[in-house]
Amino acid sequence: MLINPCPKHKLIRDSVRSFAETELAPIAAEIDRKAVFPREIIEKMRPLNFFGLQAPREFGGAALDSVSAAIVVEELSRVCAAIGLCVTVHNGVALYPFMKFAGKDQKNEYLPKLTSGEFIGAFSLTEANAGSDSASVETTAVKRNNEYVLNGTKIFVTNGGVCDIALIFALTGFEPGKPQSSVFIVESKSPGFLRGELEDLCGMRANPVSSLFLEDCCVPEQNVLGNIGDGMKIGLATLDNGRIGVAAQALGIAQGAYEAAVKYAKERQQFKKPIASLQTIQNYIADMATEITAGRLLLYRACSLKDGGAPFGCEASMAKLYCSTVASKVTSLAVQIHGGYGYSKEYDVERYFRDAKVTEIYEGTSEIQRMVIARTILSQLTF
Amino acid sequence: MKLVVCIKQVPKVTELPWDEKTGTLRRDLASGMMNPACKHALEAALQIKENHNASITVITMGPPAAEEMLREALAMGADEAILICDWLLAGSDTFATSLVLKEAIKKQCPKFDLILCGAYTADSETAQVGPQLAEELDLPAAAYVEKMEITGKTLRVRRLVDNFRETLEMEFPALVTVSMENYKPRYTSLAGLENAFDQKDVSVLDAKSLGLSSSSIEQKGSRTRVRKVFLRKAQKGNVVLQGAASNVVHEFLDRYQRKIGTVIGKSIEEKKQHDDK
Repeated sequence: MLINPCPKHKLIRDSVRSFAETELAPIAAEIDRKAVFPREIIEKMRPLNFFGLQAPREFGGAALDSVSAAIVVEELSRVCAAIGLCVTVHNGVALYPFMKFAGKDQKNEYLPKLTSGEFIGAFSLTEANAGSDSASVETTAVKRNNEYVLNGTKIFVTNGGVCDIALIFALTGFEPGKPQSSVFIVESKSPGFLRGELEDLCGMRANPVSSLFLEDCCVPEQNVLGNIGDGMKIGLATLDNGRIGVAAQALGIAQGAYEAAVKYAKERQQFKKPIASLQTIQNYIADMATEITAGRLLLYRACSLKDGGAPFGCEASMAKLYCSTVASKVTSLAVQIHGGYGYSKEYDVERYFRDAKVTEIYEGTSEIQRMVIARTILSQLTF
Repeated sequence: MKLVVCIKQVPKVTELPWDEKTGTLRRDLASGMMNPACKHALEAALQIKENHNASITVITMGPPAAEEMLREALAMGADEAILICDWLLAGSDTFATSLVLKEAIKKQCPKFDLILCGAYTADSETAQVGPQLAEELDLPAAAYVEKMEITGKTLRVRRLVDNFRETLEMEFPALVTVSMENYKPRYTSLAGLENAFDQKDVSVLDAKSLGLSSSSIEQKGSRTRVRKVFLRKAQKGNVVLQGAASNVVHEFLDRYQRKIGTVIGKSIEEKKQHDDK
């Protein structure tokens, strides 16, 4: 269990921070305002392995441990949460299920493209009537000769507007008492794969979140991820992992807002002294720092359980629940410390404040995280 | 081709408290980073490596924590890393440092073609170690190099000195100190960082392994002593000149014309004389 940062983690943090501050900081506010996806930055990120964080070396990945991968997402999100989101979704819920469930041929075909960032990945579970209740997916996949024909609509797909490959959850039949779902590897160039308009969202606006329409979309039968009927298994495992990523992202947003607030509190003069000398502001800063640090320990604990091969779903949910709550609270306090300026788009904390909220919603709402945590605790035999 | 890059770990912040007894900076209070000019020197070496099939050894003298900076250098593309680490060497001045570096280079990479150093460090900024090392090793050297071209055994360098650029040529083996004009350091890939910790080694040398004893270090070692360290205090104050515009301008010139740059000063002076006439 890692309590203190080791030299490798420190160096990874420094390197990603340097990249983010040099390349992302100058454009973060603008791409948020204009809601544009910065392709040129993605091209700079590709050779630095941002799209193959934990993939094995033989497939072109960086083979990072989970704490390192979390640090990468933290540091990107500290400066630009929309890019942090693109990276964590690509790695955490598109690349990860590939590494865990794909067959040898599927890995050989798709992993090098995903790890190099040639293909950007997306994960498509959510539908209009299937959010937290992931079992009520209505998209169908029907076998016809050597292929599956997919029909349905996916909504709120992160990276949807730019993805080259999407993992689509679809119904493939009924088991006794419940629907059977499966996961399909669908390339965006497949006939019948259509993208909707980009969503006009509150935060993370530079990430192209869209709907995906599958209209008689034909997928070769070898593009089933894992086996037919594995949908729920793959979905749950992927979400456990994705939650680590969202926790890291939330923590990065909180860290960015906190640092901005501390800097501002030292600079802003009222009553002829910096507002940082006022006890109320000091209390805010103390609470922010304490909660961020606690969140970080919770996150790294989930990461180290994952790396040790132990079950980590409950801890990932705890980290996601706590870090996203902290992100909303810290960004709100950061706006408060900035006063009227914090409510202005002139200051970054306004963007952090908008970006933080969704971390309490996607990849399982806070309510769902509590359900997962409580279910794990209550299913244990003894304390 | 064999390249040696001497790098130094410096504190991340610019203003550090110092130990009042010894006059040295309390480096333990800040986390370290690779000195920016050293990073440019490493980048220059990496570009030479890409074009001339070279191998790069990075070398530093510092505390155990400096190892992490060497790992970063390995991640960027250096082939070998050497840490000279011994408390006997703590507090070495630039003269002692260059002596130690000389011994390490003679022992570990005697067949080098080119040594690259950062032109100066962000913490003490003496810019002395590179030139002193060249002197110790009796090498042709150029400081503040901003561009290099290699043809066979000849190195042509361009450097900025005061207000002019000069181009110099020298034969290998040689030494250059690299400025921060060009050679913007590359970003380190995540796979490179992971490999640098997982698959590469840092050799650690102490004073004894370099043939340096405590008496020889004392005898040949630091020639300088820091007598006093102080912060230069900048005084800021607003001065408001009031009255008619012509009076204000004259009063301004009376007070400040010596502080205004020569060229501007002259022309204002002439203008003033002209107006007086």
